Amino acid sequence: MPPDSVMPDEARRAVDAIRETDIVVGVPSYNNARSIAHVVRAIQGGLARYFPKFSAVVVNSDGGSSDGTPGVALSASFDLSRLLAVSTPLTGIHRLSFPYHGIPGKGSAFRLVFQMAQALDAKACAVVDADLRSITPEWIDLLVRPVLHARYDLVAPYYHRHKYDGTITNNIVYPLTRSLYGRRIRQPIGGDFGLSPRLIERYLSRHDWESDVARYGVDIWMTTIAVAENFRTCQSFLGAKLHDAKDPAADLSGMLHQVVGSVFALMNEYETAWIPVHGSAPVDLYGFPHDVGLDPVEANVGRMIGIFRAACSDLREIWSLALEPDALKAVQSLHGSALAGEKPFHLDDELWMRIIFDFACAYRRRRLDRGHLLRSLTPLYLARVASFVIETREMFAPEAEERIEALCMTAEQIKPYLEARWRGRAFEPARAGPDAPGKQTSENLEVLP
Amino acid sequence: MIHVLQQILEKALARLSQNLVACLPPLIVAAVILSVAFLLATILRWLILKAVKAVALDRFLRDSGLGSFLDRSGRLRAASLVAGVAYWAILGTALLMSIDVFDTTLTSRIVQATVFAVPKLLAAGAILLAGFWLAQYLGRSTLVWAVNEGMPFARRLAIGVKVAIAFVAVVVAADTLGFAGRVFFAAFVIVTGAAALAGGIAAGLALRSALDRSLHQPGTRSGEREEHSLWNHL
Repeated sequence: MPPDSVMPDEARRAVDAIRETDIVVGVPSYNNARSIAHVVRAIQGGLARYFPKFSAVVVNSDGGSSDGTPGVALSASFDLSRLLAVSTPLTGIHRLSFPYHGIPGKGSAFRLVFQMAQALDAKACAVVDADLRSITPEWIDLLVRPVLHARYDLVAPYYHRHKYDGTITNNIVYPLTRSLYGRRIRQPIGGDFGLSPRLIERYLSRHDWESDVARYGVDIWMTTIAVAENFRTCQSFLGAKLHDAKDPAADLSGMLHQVVGSVFALMNEYETAWIPVHGSAPVDLYGFPHDVGLDPVEANVGRMIGIFRAACSDLREIWSLALEPDALKAVQSLHGSALAGEKPFHLDDELWMRIIFDFACAYRRRRLDRGHLLRSLTPLYLARVASFVIETREMFAPEAEERIEALCMTAEQIKPYLEARWRGRAFEPARAGPDAPGKQTSENLEVLP
Repeated sequence: MIHVLQQILEKALARLSQNLVACLPPLIVAAVILSVAFLLATILRWLILKAVKAVALDRFLRDSGLGSFLDRSGRLRAASLVAGVAYWAILGTALLMSIDVFDTTLTSRIVQATVFAVPKLLAAGAILLAGFWLAQYLGRSTLVWAVNEGMPFARRLAIGVKVAIAFVAVVVAADTLGFAGRVFFAAFVIVTGAAALAGGIAAGLALRSALDRSLHQPGTRSGEREEHSLWNHL
């Protein structure tokens, strides 16, 4: 075992006993007793139905749950005779549950799963969240088959989500990842992935597991490494993503900072990979896309705008260290017009992407503490979410999706601004003109000044 | 009468010329020392700026936030910091040497007192620097946290934290220098006591209103619902 292994002794003993397997499916959990039985049953059903000739291990990597999650995961049973057209499994499915060592968080849980997959010499690995209510046996097929039979290294999820669900993905991570690396992976932090042994080996060889990667930053870290290092990547359509409501007591704003911090940190590392990229290309999609019913998601617009307004006066000094003067001025005027109530609150796509790009550059230059920088983004993010909610209130899901597409096109179009600022140069708008390389021609483009 | 005045004037001029004759050599030496030191300091500063890279120190300044604290533009480099320190150290030493050239009781006492005070001054300076940096860091942490939590008077809270930490740094620095220690200590005790009292009263009032709310509205938990709806879109 490597010296930095997070595998507990019982996991090592299990590896010694099992020796090798074809498929490992990991389920990171923390207090998910209510939903994990359904997830484990779906995994078992998927493995039995779609991979009956493959040996498999289901690993629950638990973060010290106090509600008996590991026990529920181990005792969850599935009557295979109730699964229509099931083949008789030729090999058994091992179910294991271990507490991981190290920093508490989803990333550390994944690390244990990956180490077990590597130790068991697995041909494919999948990870799925423990709070899923919409997972079906087909998910396992859709996540594992492209790895086993089409030699993909990363299978990213593609779901239908409510227009207000996953706003950090829609407003920051997807537009940023797409414009940086040129790959249209719609759910880069979806949480459910299929992985090849080659990619797992690459992940485990890295030395940044003790950073935000140990927590919520792990999803974007996995996706970014895969696209930046040219691993073969595809998406699988998994239907709807319905999950348990997040724990209100959890520091959910911390999730935003960990994810965005990971994106910015990886921008530093992979600048040679993303700077030459212009435009974006679609990624192969497996599965059969279809419409699904979704849980409604509420958003407290008034409180979001309230926090933004307070921040406009209180965080001005900090923002002035991160934002370019014209962006800061635009934010302040947004605050002014919102106060006056002249028109509906609206933070437009170009200003929003400039804010994100400015923060990325400030993160690189360390003009102020990175924790302060990332946390000071929260009110701006809430303002963007509020603006998006107001704008799309009367829209159906496809129209809201078009708005996100327009945001992505704007991000790709003003990428020269990011490049200039990243290199410490003044931005020349002429570079973004019609003759510029990578200029987008979609009808979804907004007219930029 | 005119004769008497003439005599007084002549004596005064004679004394002045005597003093000038006595002081001129040390004055010239002092001027030479200062000129040479200035030249040396300027050359050394130029050499350091040209030759020293100090990558590790640059990284420390950048990562710790000290660089942007000392220079808001964020362009401060370790080499320029080292060059500045060397420049002023040479000029300071030269100034002391040039004072010492006069060799009087007063100048000797000035030089002696300064030399003895240097370590304490350095320590006090370091304490002040660290204290003000910490005050700014924790002040900003408080500000960002309070704004994100939607707390009222976030700026005032942050300023309070900043001032309190800066004040502690000043008290410790003054104590290191042995300067008005009792006055600062008394002020520190009064301010800390007042802050503790205010904090206790505020916590008590907040606890009482929270208890009131939970007793009179046992089923609502509106705050929890509101917090949930603020973030559940993540």
